[in-house]
Amino acid sequence: MTEPLVLDALGPSGPYRARTRQPIPDVAGNPLAELSLVPKLFVTRAMSALRRSRLLPRQERLAALTEAGQRFATGEVDGMSAGDYQYTVSRMSGNPLPIVRKAAAAIARSAAEAYRSAQQARPVGAVNDWRESTAGRGTAIWIRRGSVFAVHAAGNHPGVHSLWLEALSLGFRVAVRPSRREPLTPYRLVSALRAAGFGDDQVVLLPTGYEAADEILRQADLGMVYGGQDVIDKYAADPTVLPNGPGRSKILITADCDWREYLDMLVDSVSHEGGTACVNTTAIFVEGDATPVAEAVAQRLAAIPSLPPEDDKAVLTAYRLDDAKKFENYLHSAADGATAHLGGGGVVDELGDGSAVLRPAVYQVDDPNAPQVNVELAFPCVWVAPWSREAGTAPLTNSLVLTAVTRDERLIDELLADPAIKNLYLGNHPTYWMEPGIPHDAYLGEFLMRTKALIRD
Amino acid sequence: MTESILELPLDEQPDPGEFIRAAMQWHFNPETGSPYWLERAKSLDFDPRTDVTSFGDLARFPNIVDELRDVRVEDLIPRGYGPDPDIVGIFESGGTTGPPKRVIMLQDWWRRSGAWISANLDAHGFPRDVNWLGLVPTGPHLVGATLARLAAYRGGIGFSIDMDPRWVKKLIGGGKAEEAGAYAEHLVEQASFTMRTQDVGVLLTTPPLLERIARNDELVGLINEKIRGIMWAGAHMDADTRYLYRNEVFPQVKLFGVYGSTMILGGSAERLGLGPDDPCIFDPPSPIITFLVIDPDTGSRVGDGERGQVVMNHVSRNMLLPNNLERDLATRIEPPAGRAGDSVADVSPVARFGNEPVIEGVY
Repeated sequence: MTEPLVLDALGPSGPYRARTRQPIPDVAGNPLAELSLVPKLFVTRAMSALRRSRLLPRQERLAALTEAGQRFATGEVDGMSAGDYQYTVSRMSGNPLPIVRKAAAAIARSAAEAYRSAQQARPVGAVNDWRESTAGRGTAIWIRRGSVFAVHAAGNHPGVHSLWLEALSLGFRVAVRPSRREPLTPYRLVSALRAAGFGDDQVVLLPTGYEAADEILRQADLGMVYGGQDVIDKYAADPTVLPNGPGRSKILITADCDWREYLDMLVDSVSHEGGTACVNTTAIFVEGDATPVAEAVAQRLAAIPSLPPEDDKAVLTAYRLDDAKKFENYLHSAADGATAHLGGGGVVDELGDGSAVLRPAVYQVDDPNAPQVNVELAFPCVWVAPWSREAGTAPLTNSLVLTAVTRDERLIDELLADPAIKNLYLGNHPTYWMEPGIPHDAYLGEFLMRTKALIRD
Repeated sequence: MTESILELPLDEQPDPGEFIRAAMQWHFNPETGSPYWLERAKSLDFDPRTDVTSFGDLARFPNIVDELRDVRVEDLIPRGYGPDPDIVGIFESGGTTGPPKRVIMLQDWWRRSGAWISANLDAHGFPRDVNWLGLVPTGPHLVGATLARLAAYRGGIGFSIDMDPRWVKKLIGGGKAEEAGAYAEHLVEQASFTMRTQDVGVLLTTPPLLERIARNDELVGLINEKIRGIMWAGAHMDADTRYLYRNEVFPQVKLFGVYGSTMILGGSAERLGLGPDDPCIFDPPSPIITFLVIDPDTGSRVGDGERGQVVMNHVSRNMLLPNNLERDLATRIEPPAGRAGDSVADVSPVARFGNEPVIEGVY
């Protein structure tokens, strides 16, 4: 690399290059980009500009979204080709290049489908437009709960930027605070949205430090944040903020099914997306002997090669060496009392340039209620635990996704009834499965919209 | 003879060594020194009148500001002022770290300090003969008392509001950020009554309150219509924020910052002529008020352009407050020619944590 990439804030009157800039290194620690950090005053003014801005009519919005998605995934945006973008993200975030490519295509698809997907959340009794004929008899109409939506985005995976496009499609004006780990994806996406027809005052990118970050949420009508348990706790009592917390996704295999038939799904659920997604499996529960499952999963994961993230065949996520070592230390102290099938001797594999991949880890615990089963780490790391009817659904709760491989319909009913299991996949479906139009953590539209009664002459 | 050098206007440049020696004679002579310092000198392991002969020797003094929480304020008045000293007021520190510390302000220092700030305001293009409105701490706080006197000194009337910063700190410390926000909104509302109905030409406030005012389109309009100068005090303003105020929010309004502390009975002034990319640099009226930027771990001064913690000295006839390590961090900047000590830039509170990467979880 020669000159670092310059990532401006994208404010309501165009790009803004701040005097305060944060260096964004690549996974080897070399300077890769410089991100403008805007002060609170900039945020305040940007948020009030969003509030004053014109609403783009629906047909124009949706056309612009589709076009923006295409530009984002395949075109040149702000002078950068799609290939350069994907390469740069892989070096910046450590996400394997094939994953970045897939995520870019998924974002384009989400952009095109954003409105249709959002509509899945509309109550069956509600219409979108007061002009519809049913309004004469009285109807519900679906309306926005505000006009300005804010996102504190995450940088673990480019795919997190698919979701807020639904808010844009529904007519919200949107402010995105990028993660300082990987701000390039939202920079490119907001740039593409603007190039495709959204006004500078309709969607903004506001990179900030911690102090001004709260201002973005405070000045928005509704907001969405990504974070760990601390972030979830912070916003738990705030009805205007939707937190996206730890996934702690899990898989259950009961004795009436042969786990060998599901081995691909088990392995993929752990390692797909480089292990960095909230939908990656954190724990596998086995009714019966868990040891052969742990051994088989470990054997398969051990075969994954260590490659730099920009490699076409990369599977594992790369980190700066010191960060990778922190993960390893954390893993080894968390694993106290567990049996290692893979990764017990270390998971850090240096790539020689100051970066390292984190290789998979498979540990077995002897109790379904062992604390480890909820320890979610941002690389392929899975805790294999025994499960029994006596243990019940308690160890399986608090999961973004639970894949249940079972024929036991009563158990399925119980799992379905638990609202703390956010998504339930039955049978041979990996925990990372997602589709536009299918809720991820309930429909975003449930949070963004409400109904009001309407009757007219 | 030795006292006259202590009474020069603040823009005069006495020799720092000569100045310090004169001040030591004043504060530690039994006929002119304060009861507090004369008593305190007995427990020093040096004699200030013979051993403190240069600016650098001020570092020999212990930091006594914590003692100002308990000392009778009468004992702080130098005897040299005679039996009937002209007292402007008693002022207290913010009270962030326990009971407040008290200083006493006497008329002669007030006059010289006020004249110096006023000259800086002239240099920065602030109007005279206009009224002032202050959204700054009042009651025992120096900045609030400065408002009315400075406005009067420059030919105007000072309007103020009630403001208790200790209550705000208590709310924030207790995790009640929302209540603190509501109080700040209340302050802005109080100020808006004056702003709407009165002729006001200068606004004195703090950067956080100015940001809050800038959220309100009506107040921004009123300021652009009526206010010709905004003087801000008490906290940090980064170059981007200053740029936005100057170019987008208040394009016709002069902006002037002061960085001060009760424990120096005054402050330092924003350097004139800073460009849009320069950090906000503050020059203290050395040698009376001086700063040193030090490494808090070693106590030694950091290099030019490096960051460290700010040590403040106040040395006047009025008071001697040497070698006080403040809670602020700043960048050391070369002072104007001939001035003792450091100028400072990018002042911020002592390091906050929160940057450690969170390990558990994927975000």
